Amino acid sequence: MVMRGGWRVKLLQLWLPLGFFLLFTLFPFYWMTVTSLKPNAELYNTQMMPLLLYHPTLKHYVDLLTQTSFLLWTWNTMLVAVVSTAISLVLGTMLAYPLARINFPGSALIAFAVAATYLVPQPLLFIPMADIINRMGLGDTLTSVILTYPTMLVPFCAWLLMGYFKSVPHELEEAARIDGASHFQAMWRIVLPLCTPGFISAGIFAFTLAQNEFLYALIFLTKTDVRTVPVGAIAELIRGDVFYWGQLMAAALLGSIPVAIIYSFFVEHYVAGLTAGSVKG
Amino acid sequence: MANRDMVGATSSRRDFLRVAAAGALGTVVGVPAARAAPTTLTFLHDSSFIRDFDAYFQNQLAPRYLKETGTKIDYELTSVGTLQTRVSAIIETGSGADVLLNNFNWPFLYDEKYVDVSDIAEEIGKAQGGWYDAAKEAVVVNGKWKAIPFGNIGQLMNYRIDWFHEVGYDKFPDTWEELLEAGIKLNEKGHPFGFELGHGFGDNHGWIYPLMWSFGAHEVEADGTTVVVDSDEMARAVDFARTFFQKTTLEDCLGWNDASNNKAYLSQQISCTNNAESILWVAKRDFPEIAAVTGQTLNPKGPTGKRFHILLPWSHSVFTGATDIAAAKEFLRWLMQPQQLEGWYASAESYYAPYLHGYDNAKFWTAEPRNLPYRESLATSHLPGWPAPVSRPQAEVIAKYVIIDMFAKACGGANTKEVMKTAQAQVKQIYGQPA
Repeated sequence: MVMRGGWRVKLLQLWLPLGFFLLFTLFPFYWMTVTSLKPNAELYNTQMMPLLLYHPTLKHYVDLLTQTSFLLWTWNTMLVAVVSTAISLVLGTMLAYPLARINFPGSALIAFAVAATYLVPQPLLFIPMADIINRMGLGDTLTSVILTYPTMLVPFCAWLLMGYFKSVPHELEEAARIDGASHFQAMWRIVLPLCTPGFISAGIFAFTLAQNEFLYALIFLTKTDVRTVPVGAIAELIRGDVFYWGQLMAAALLGSIPVAIIYSFFVEHYVAGLTAGSVKG
Repeated sequence: MANRDMVGATSSRRDFLRVAAAGALGTVVGVPAARAAPTTLTFLHDSSFIRDFDAYFQNQLAPRYLKETGTKIDYELTSVGTLQTRVSAIIETGSGADVLLNNFNWPFLYDEKYVDVSDIAEEIGKAQGGWYDAAKEAVVVNGKWKAIPFGNIGQLMNYRIDWFHEVGYDKFPDTWEELLEAGIKLNEKGHPFGFELGHGFGDNHGWIYPLMWSFGAHEVEADGTTVVVDSDEMARAVDFARTFFQKTTLEDCLGWNDASNNKAYLSQQISCTNNAESILWVAKRDFPEIAAVTGQTLNPKGPTGKRFHILLPWSHSVFTGATDIAAAKEFLRWLMQPQQLEGWYASAESYYAPYLHGYDNAKFWTAEPRNLPYRESLATSHLPGWPAPVSRPQAEVIAKYVIIDMFAKACGGANTKEVMKTAQAQVKQIYGQPA
């Protein structure tokens, strides 16, 4: 983008909008940080400017880490999110590839069914799902959510990946077939590598959805030592009408760090995926 | 259990799925636990805001029961806002916990899935001074005790003694009209009231229903069918609430939840609210200067000359799907013995007011004399929806906040007749009656 004019134009067209969006994006993190570092006396004092921090303390972090099983919840959350995302990406690819690349009767109907499955709300499903989990004897194990999260993540990943698979020219695959590659080899060696940004996008979204999921985790994981962060924090830091605001904000902030790290690692690939093919190489 | 046996006999496909799932994931996240043996019982509870209360059960009562009987108690905690979701899932799926905690009218909603525990209730009542009538209102369904009442989380007036004194009140006003007068003076001094009118779970019902009853109004008659929202008494109650709100109360109360008034009181924004003992309890822990000038007292009387309070009962039920119903009942019987109860109640400093007269003069009541009104309030406490008997339509009226919203709309400025007409139509529709 070529920008003409002096510093005023640059300020108006670049720095001000950028500053606004930066503020908009980072404000929740700032609020979480400030709240988690305030002593209760300051949190409840309306005479003090709420955006400023006067007497910082790490008490809420110490209490969170010593009085609750937060580290264990974080480990559980990561394990569940990573494994269910991996399962969903594999199954989603297996579902999306034929729907996007192979013509067969009923493919449009199946593609529609995939989208419709994703749209079924969780509150309709959690009781029958809980019944299945209980009958399988999987209650209070991380396996229960690792198996149920793909029920929403697979349609989501498949739906997202279908778009990427469709964007790869058929000629590339046909050339591979002419060179002697089987259908599977053409997919494995030609199409899938070209869709890496799509996998990263789907993976990040699936990971975030799995990490934040609440309802299934609430129903299936009832013991403290198998809970995930969203359920553990709510169950143990909201007590009656008393909210442990400092610890809640500390948990929210610490819980958001893994996703921020993952985003920062993959952001280039992710953006590359979004803009693939927009300009001639 | 018969169903489970049938399932077990014909479940090869399910067995395959279970083995496959466990095989695929077991090495990563552990093999799924087998169904609880009869020597383990799961006791589902709400996370008490008093951590010592839960700690007392986990560190004292559960080990004691294990030592005495060999039965392990898994004390499962969930937050108050998610408890009913957990209970519903357990009820619908047939497993998940053996002994469940109930709030409000749940023994009536789930009575078909709860074991009759009348024998335990009568035995406990006889041995410990008898039950308050309020206890029976909360758990006796069609003549059968479907839960053992544990304690009442009373909702009373919490107020700033020093600020009321500043405007000439040495004791809390006795009637709603007097409270309105005091509120106007306090508001002028920059100390408004703060009464929840949003979609919380207790503090909204905690003052709206008692206010309504004290004006002689209610939504359905005691016959359980005659809808009387649109009445002269209700009109007077709604008119009063509007004046009360507009002249004394913080405007954002319309969007409050149960935590909002605690926060507003502890941040010294409001001079009076309706709440459980939690405000004083947290003030004593974190804000001793506020605790020193905080009073707790009964709700004011209305034009009928009577005062009322909301009944917010905690009770325990044995689930019909329990792994061992006899063992679960035995645990409940053991839990309700004085050796266990006294210490457990005391760990919460009377926050859960016992429904047994045997505890009327217990030591924990004298630990904080300002809590005594919570004991007194039991005599005039009723479930939301009273005097109509608890029913599913009534529960729906409460769950949809029909009455709360009627008052909230009026407080927001809507016409009394209009809001009553709308609420009357909503209640009739829920009860399946023509408008």
